[in-house]
Amino acid sequence: MIHNRSLMNRNLLVKEFRVNTLSLTVWLLLICFFVAFTMAFYPMFIENQSQFMGLLNLFPADIFEFKGVSNFDDLFSVLGFYAANNTVYMQLFGSIYAIVLGSNILLKEEYNKTADFLLSRPLTRSDAYLTKAAVMIINILILNIIVILVGCVAIEFVKTESYSFQSYLILSFYTLLLNLLFGFAGLFLSTLIKRARPITTLGIGIVLFMYFLYTISKITADAEKLGYISPYKFVDANVLNPDYSLNPWYVLYFAGLTACLAIAAFFIYRQKDIYA
Amino acid sequence: MEQPVIRIKDLTRYYGKSKGIEHVNLSINQGEIFGFIGPNGAGKSTTIRILLNLIFPTGGSAEIMGMDVIKESKKIKNLTGYIPSDANAYENMTAGAFLRYCSRFYSSGNSDRKIRELTVLFDLDTKRKIADLSRGNRKKVAIIQSLVHNPKLLILDEPTTGLDPLMQERFFDLLRKENHNGMTIFFSSHVLSEVQLLCERIAIIKAGNIIKIEHIDTLRKKQLKKVFIEFEENLTSDIINIKGIENIMQNTGNMLSFVYSGDINDLIVKLSGKKLMNMTIEEPSLEEIFMHYYK
Repeated sequence: MIHNRSLMNRNLLVKEFRVNTLSLTVWLLLICFFVAFTMAFYPMFIENQSQFMGLLNLFPADIFEFKGVSNFDDLFSVLGFYAANNTVYMQLFGSIYAIVLGSNILLKEEYNKTADFLLSRPLTRSDAYLTKAAVMIINILILNIIVILVGCVAIEFVKTESYSFQSYLILSFYTLLLNLLFGFAGLFLSTLIKRARPITTLGIGIVLFMYFLYTISKITADAEKLGYISPYKFVDANVLNPDYSLNPWYVLYFAGLTACLAIAAFFIYRQKDIYA
Repeated sequence: MEQPVIRIKDLTRYYGKSKGIEHVNLSINQGEIFGFIGPNGAGKSTTIRILLNLIFPTGGSAEIMGMDVIKESKKIKNLTGYIPSDANAYENMTAGAFLRYCSRFYSSGNSDRKIRELTVLFDLDTKRKIADLSRGNRKKVAIIQSLVHNPKLLILDEPTTGLDPLMQERFFDLLRKENHNGMTIFFSSHVLSEVQLLCERIAIIKAGNIIKIEHIDTLRKKQLKKVFIEFEENLTSDIINIKGIENIMQNTGNMLSFVYSGDINDLIVKLSGKKLMNMTIEEPSLEEIFMHYYK
């Protein structure tokens, strides 16, 4: 079926979604397992609070600040424990998933030499780009939504007191924005590659480097400004702050940067020479 | 006057400083089977990739059925089939699933019947995964996918690579049948003999430039052959001066190798008084044909 007026191609969308289902499932199982596994330790952590507190006091007070833990007491609330221990799975592994997906979804057609078959169909470059970008967004959304649900269920199972569900959702929303940013960063990078080859390692390297920069900036005063290079700086994980809310500037940062990458990738891909 | 199906005007493409094609001009008519021949790296694939909007020209323009290949590529591709020279289909799909996937891009309706007909014709097992198919069977998949939507124009880039002689024959018969039904065919190859079998006109491209556009009948009249003769005695000037002997490649002692232009029977008659030890007559290579045209 031809879709002359549609911005996306349903045939390609369905096929791409099927192709990416396996890797989405593997990443989902991996991250959900880590989330559930980590939360299973929370009851033991609470039971042995005094011993853990003694152990934690051996560290500098701001050692876990990069995880949104401004004091050690935060770790004993269920949301603080979740933010300190589980957020990393989605912010790091989720971002790696997103950048790997984004960097391969268009480029694989070139390095697998299938681009000739795809782009000789009645399909504009815009159709191909928008369809593939949509598949990427849908996959990232599914990953985030399911992990949010699994995290929520895990918290409900182990909690000993109430927690702010709104704060949990805000933290998860930041994570989604971060994942989308890395997804489009991967897509953008892939459009810059002239002679097609997989750039998975480069993508993973970028995520790890950004996380490293952010971590260094949080634990070393001299490197504080370096943190502004990393998007992790703009994920507010301080969920136990009574005034915790979505920072509109941070949201604007993510939305603006993601839009810039998406638009730049779109225009580059429309003019890109495709070699198979 | 009827509009050409493909019209290429001063088409130029540079890769950095190196030339891909330069000032290519072609006009291919409705219902024609047009051969596009040249050695590897001559610019055949560059021209085809521009026609399909896979790469962009640095100069000139190209139209298919009156539509600009860049601005109206979607409409063009709905009417065009393409067999790439060296492309892979999705390895995890079965041949059948891939062909159905390809056909769903088009507005031409149910293509299942066409897929069935062609898979029977080419004896292709559609249940096998593409990853498990031989090179020849992958080429069959490429051929079938190009025809599932009954295109008006078929662009072929080295389409017979990997096909065995029987399948090549079936493929050529199919092309003749489709052409008889009105399909225009743009056939790119470096094998002159297969182009000669099928095409009405040919363009010869070398180093990015079209050096000759010739009607196939004119080419046939030239009847170029590569000849090697070993005589019992040393060569004499009367042999070398025989009319039609061109591009002498070897002329030592009693051996002579050359390109002969003309009726080969005339040559045999002229050599009838000479004692030969050995003689071979074969198709000249493209390079040898180019040398002929460069003269």
